[in-house]
Amino acid sequence: MSTATKISRPRLAPGSIVRWTAIAFALFWSLAPIYWMLSTSLKTELEATRLHPTLWPEAPTFANYIGLTGTSLPFVAFFFNTVLSCLLTAVVCVVIATPAAYALSRARFRLAGTVGYTILAFRMLPMVVVLAPLYLLLLNARLLDTGTGLVVGFTTFGLPFAVWMMKSFVDAVPIEVEEAARVDGYPRWQILLRVVVPLIMPGILTTGTFVFMEAWNNLIYPLTFITTMEKQTLPAALVLTFTGQFKTDWGGMMAAATITTLPLMIAFFAVQRSMVRGLTSGAVAGA
Amino acid sequence: MTADVITTNARARPRARREPWLDWMVLPTLIVMAVVVGYPVVYTILLSVQDYNLLDFTPANYVGAQNYAKLAADSVFWQSLLNTAIYTFGSVGIAALLGLVLALLTENLGGARFRAVRTLLLMPWAVPFVVVAFLFRYMYLQNGGIINAVLLWAGIINDPVPWLNSAMLALPAVMVANIWAMAPFFFLLVSAALSAIPNEVIESARVDRAGTWGMIWHIKLPFLRNPLLISSLLMVISNFNDFAKIWAMTQGGPGYSTSTLVIYVYRLAFESFEFGYASAVGVIWLVMLMALAWLYMRALRMEKR
Repeated sequence: MSTATKISRPRLAPGSIVRWTAIAFALFWSLAPIYWMLSTSLKTELEATRLHPTLWPEAPTFANYIGLTGTSLPFVAFFFNTVLSCLLTAVVCVVIATPAAYALSRARFRLAGTVGYTILAFRMLPMVVVLAPLYLLLLNARLLDTGTGLVVGFTTFGLPFAVWMMKSFVDAVPIEVEEAARVDGYPRWQILLRVVVPLIMPGILTTGTFVFMEAWNNLIYPLTFITTMEKQTLPAALVLTFTGQFKTDWGGMMAAATITTLPLMIAFFAVQRSMVRGLTSGAVAGA
Repeated sequence: MTADVITTNARARPRARREPWLDWMVLPTLIVMAVVVGYPVVYTILLSVQDYNLLDFTPANYVGAQNYAKLAADSVFWQSLLNTAIYTFGSVGIAALLGLVLALLTENLGGARFRAVRTLLLMPWAVPFVVVAFLFRYMYLQNGGIINAVLLWAGIINDPVPWLNSAMLALPAVMVANIWAMAPFFFLLVSAALSAIPNEVIESARVDRAGTWGMIWHIKLPFLRNPLLISSLLMVISNFNDFAKIWAMTQGGPGYSTSTLVIYVYRLAFESFEFGYASAVGVIWLVMLMALAWLYMRALRMEKR
C-alpha cells in the first residue's frame, strides 16, 4: 500500500489541488451554518436582524445566554426535562433490549427469525400513524402531560432500534468465551450479565447514545403529549416560543438553539469511533 | 425462509441448543412493543373505519370505507403524497451522492488529517433537527438573511428572494436544509465501506494500471452498491417520517406546498381532531411504508448471502 502511494504521488499533484479545493468547499458548506448560529447567538437583537448582516459580532455579548435563564420562560426546566426524558429513554431501551438482543443472537428457537424481523418492522412504522392511538392510550392511562408518558412515546421507536443494534454487537462476541462459564454451571442470565455485558459495553453505550440522540431530535411527541409549558422539552419549546418571544429575537433564538445542540454534540463525539462500527456492522449494514 | 437466514448468519452457533428460557429474554421487548406499537397500529386500523372526532360529543360511528373514499378525492392528500415523494427521494438521492463524493475525496488523506476532516464534516449530523430548521429559517430570511445578503452582494440576484414564503421555492429550500443535515451520514457510511474493500483488490487493479475513474467505477462502486442501497432505503424510511424539520421551518406552508403526509396527518389529528380520517390516511401510508420496509429487509438478507 505504502509503495503504491509513493509511486502515484507525483501524478496526483495537479489532482490534489482540485481535491483540496473540493474538501475546502465541503468544510465550508458543513461549518458555515454552525458558525452562523454561534456568531448570531453573540449578537444583540438589533444586530442579528440588521438588513446587512455582520459576519462577526460587533460587540460580542453573552446577554442572549444570560437572558435565557432570566425570562418568564423556564429554559432551565426545558433543558432538564429534555436531558432527563432522553436519558431515561436510553436507559429503559438498553435495559430491555439487552436480553432480547442476546436471545435473538444466541438462540435458535423456532420464531427467532420472525420475531427479529417483526421488531425491525416496528422500527419502520411511521411515527405519526401511531400518534393518535398512542395519545388516546396515554390519555386513558393518565400519562398525558407527564415525563413518563413522554418516555413511553420515545420508547416506541427507540426499543426496536436498540434491539437490532445490540444484536449486532452480541453477534460479534464469540460463543467460546461463554463456554467456560457454562461448564461451571452458571445460569444463562448470569453469563449474560457477567461475561457478555462487560464485553459489549462499548456497544451498549453507543446504542444508548443513539437512542438518546433520536429522542432528543423528536419533536412530534413532546408537542403532542405535553401541554404544560413547564414540562416541555427544548425542541418543542423552541417551536412554541418562537411564535411568541423569539418572533424577532434571532439572537436569543440562536442562543437557545446552541444550548439545544450542545448536549447532542457532546454525546455524538463521545461515541463517534464506536459509532462507525455500530452503524456499519449493525443496524444499517445489517449484520 | 427467515429461519435459514438466522442459521446461515450464525457465526458460532452450532453449539447453541434449543433453550426454551431464551425465549423469555425477548418477552419484555415483545410485551412493551405490543402495548406501545402493536396496539396503536390495530387501533389505527379500527379508527380508520369510524367517523371519530375528539371534539364531537356524539360517539363514533362505523362508517365503513367512507374515509377511504373521501381520501381518494382529497387533493391535499395527493399533493402531500407527491411532496413526500419529492422531499424524500430528492433529499436522499442528493445526500447520498454528496456523501459518496466526499468519502472518495477524503479516502486517501490518511491518519490524523482524515480524522480531523471527518470530525468536522460530521458535525451537521449532530445538530438537532429543530435547530437545523430554525438555523436555516434564519439564514433564509427575506430581509437580513445571510443567503440573500451574499447572493445580492455577489450580484447573482437583484432582489431578495422569499425562499420560504414562495410556494415554488419552499420545498427545495427545506430540502437543502435536510440534505445539509443528512449528507454526513452517507459520508460516514461510505467511508467505512471504502475502508472495508480488501487491499488485494485495490492492489491488483493498480497493477493493471486502472485509472482513477476506472478504479472508482469498476472496482469501488460495486463494493459500495449494497451499503449505499441499504442505507438509502433506511434514510428514505426515516425521511418519510420527518416532521421536525418541515414543521419548524414552514408548518407545511405556504398553502400546502411543503405539506408531507406526516404534516397532513398531524394537522388532521391534532388541529381538527379528525382521528378517524387521519387514521385512514395513516393506514394507506402504513401500507406503502411496509412495502418499502419489505424491500429493505430483502436487501438486508441479500447482503448476508
